[in-house]
Amino acid sequence: MSVGRLLGVGTGLLTLTLLAGCAADPGSKPVDVAGGVPVGAVLALTGNANVYGQDQKIGLELALQHRNGAGGINGNPLKLALEDSGSDEPGANAAFTLQINRGVLALIGPTLSQQAFSADPIAQRRGVPVVAPSNTATGIPEIGFFISRVSAQSSVIAPLAIERALKIQPGLKRAAVFYAQDDAYSTAETTIFQKALKEKGLDPVTVQRTQLNDQDFQNQISAALREKPDLIVLSLQAVDGGNLIRQLRELGYKGLIVAGNGMNTPNIYPICQKYCDGLLIAQAYSPELDTPANTAFLKAFQAAKGGAIPPQLTAQAYTALQVIGDALVRLDKRQPLKGATLTAARKALMEEILAGTYATPLGEIRFTPEGEVIQSQFFVAQVRMDPGGRSGRFALLK
Amino acid sequence: MDAALLEQMLLGALLALSVYLPLRCGQLSLATPGFYAVGGYVAALLSTGVPAFAGSGATSPLPALLAEMVLGGALAGLIALAIGGPVLRLRGIYLAIATIALVEILRVLNLNLPFTGGAMGIFGIPQPFAHAEGYVLFTLALLALACWLCQRLEALRLGRAMAAIRDDELAAACVGIDTPRTKLIAFVASAVLAGVTGALAAHFFNSWNARAGSFDASITTLAFVVFGGSRLWPGPVLGGLVLTALPELLRPVGDLRLILFGAVILLGPLFFPQGLVTAERLHWLAARLGRGRHRGRQAPQAP
Repeated sequence: MSVGRLLGVGTGLLTLTLLAGCAADPGSKPVDVAGGVPVGAVLALTGNANVYGQDQKIGLELALQHRNGAGGINGNPLKLALEDSGSDEPGANAAFTLQINRGVLALIGPTLSQQAFSADPIAQRRGVPVVAPSNTATGIPEIGFFISRVSAQSSVIAPLAIERALKIQPGLKRAAVFYAQDDAYSTAETTIFQKALKEKGLDPVTVQRTQLNDQDFQNQISAALREKPDLIVLSLQAVDGGNLIRQLRELGYKGLIVAGNGMNTPNIYPICQKYCDGLLIAQAYSPELDTPANTAFLKAFQAAKGGAIPPQLTAQAYTALQVIGDALVRLDKRQPLKGATLTAARKALMEEILAGTYATPLGEIRFTPEGEVIQSQFFVAQVRMDPGGRSGRFALLK
Repeated sequence: MDAALLEQMLLGALLALSVYLPLRCGQLSLATPGFYAVGGYVAALLSTGVPAFAGSGATSPLPALLAEMVLGGALAGLIALAIGGPVLRLRGIYLAIATIALVEILRVLNLNLPFTGGAMGIFGIPQPFAHAEGYVLFTLALLALACWLCQRLEALRLGRAMAAIRDDELAAACVGIDTPRTKLIAFVASAVLAGVTGALAAHFFNSWNARAGSFDASITTLAFVVFGGSRLWPGPVLGGLVLTALPELLRPVGDLRLILFGAVILLGPLFFPQGLVTAERLHWLAARLGRGRHRGRQAPQAP
């Protein structure tokens, strides 16, 4: 056998094995509720967005405990399969496909808006409901009928922090803006921030572009500080944003800093440490909300994390699984899941999700027919670091 | 195995072949992801912006995909042709650095041009195939064609000229090989292959943005070739398939999977410095498999 023929035969065999191994679409099979009602989650547990995924994972675990403690889906427990998507699009696509082939009824995720634009169309084509816990960019629910989110989009939340900054310091004149030009979330949010600034008569004196994976921001900061800004507005993710704040303060900036949703996690504390202090961030969640749903969530979180205050990402992830759980309970009562085909059950579940009103830790929420969340209350928090600079909290501003 | 992962593996193998082509000629070019991104943008822009390519919006016709692949490959090839002359005067690590710079320039352009959608990129790209299986068959055909061309190259004057340049450029020039032209052909062929792959990948990934062509991607594609072996085309194909699949196949080990993946990349070149696929191993394998069939006969010579 010649080497050429060997290669030909090898390629042929490889092709056959690979094709034979292709998983068939389980959509026409009945829902497999034997080991519990299957729901999938896809989070960024590795890569530069892992700090968000960690917060979200706790939220999902708590919501799962809560749901199964309250009888699961009418007596059958909810079964959650969690997969890591990394922080990029191919990872999210692969994890989504894997979960869909496993036969999950609904998906939670992915963590980043950028990943959602790539992975959500897969779920839409296969007819699998998606509840996004943290995508804030414009245009996510518009991907299709099966895509919804519990995270309010940045155009609703972001301007609140600017308003608050002007309330704290009415004389603000010179705003400087930073954003990561290679990141979908950052570029989408900075447009909203810049529009809000202009509406308040605060035309940015400088707009500095960074890169998502940058560590050193000395050039951009020096250029911005030459313009003598009294307000700095950041649309950056947790790791690059935390580093930029530390360097800003080290280079002598004393004024107010407003950050976007990307830094809305206590995981920034170890990055910017004492320099995080005073950071203003608009919130879609308030730990002080006095409703039974939030009290239960708060209690469960504090029991698990030794009295810490839950971050927004955790509350939103909890909400996402709660929404799916509540909708499943209602659906199962109306038309039992057992025996229904997967495709039919998924479609009915999506209709059920959109139709409901939910008492969640975020307050009472419901959805537009497109799948956009309708939430009544938003908040602004300021980071207060402990004297040692090791730990801190998001203090709500009244 | 899942068809979507299989498709990613096949795309990885095609990109690996694109890195292999200049290496076959002794040129370490890391420009592949840049051309890959260009091809993807051509497909993304055409299929979301031009009605004839867009089809019904959700699905796009197959001839449109073929046309996009031709155009994407052509544009990538033209860029390579334009810059190949000056860039290929550089050698070794300097060529690698220049091609990294090219990838960066293309990336920053893609982030800032008015029509490429910035960091968000272009999304909602229509699908020529309803299922991933369709992509797999199509990409498999493309990969088979690329492999066949690489195999043909072994027997052609061009292929032998490329091998001669890889072994000793000065000696090759002395026996009358037009070394600049041969190197340029290899570089352009590599760009065309990457551009065609990008056009296909843009549809498969639904969205396309500047992160497709980053420095990280340069290193990943280089790893395919280093891991699989750079002397024969089955090396990069194997490297591309294995290294794309590995992070997904390692999912059962949980949090350790990326550490294990890193260990494999580290140990591969350590124990197999020539890559997994070498001529000796192929001959050994061919002899082993051939022994049953050609009992008593001498193993035939390799082509």
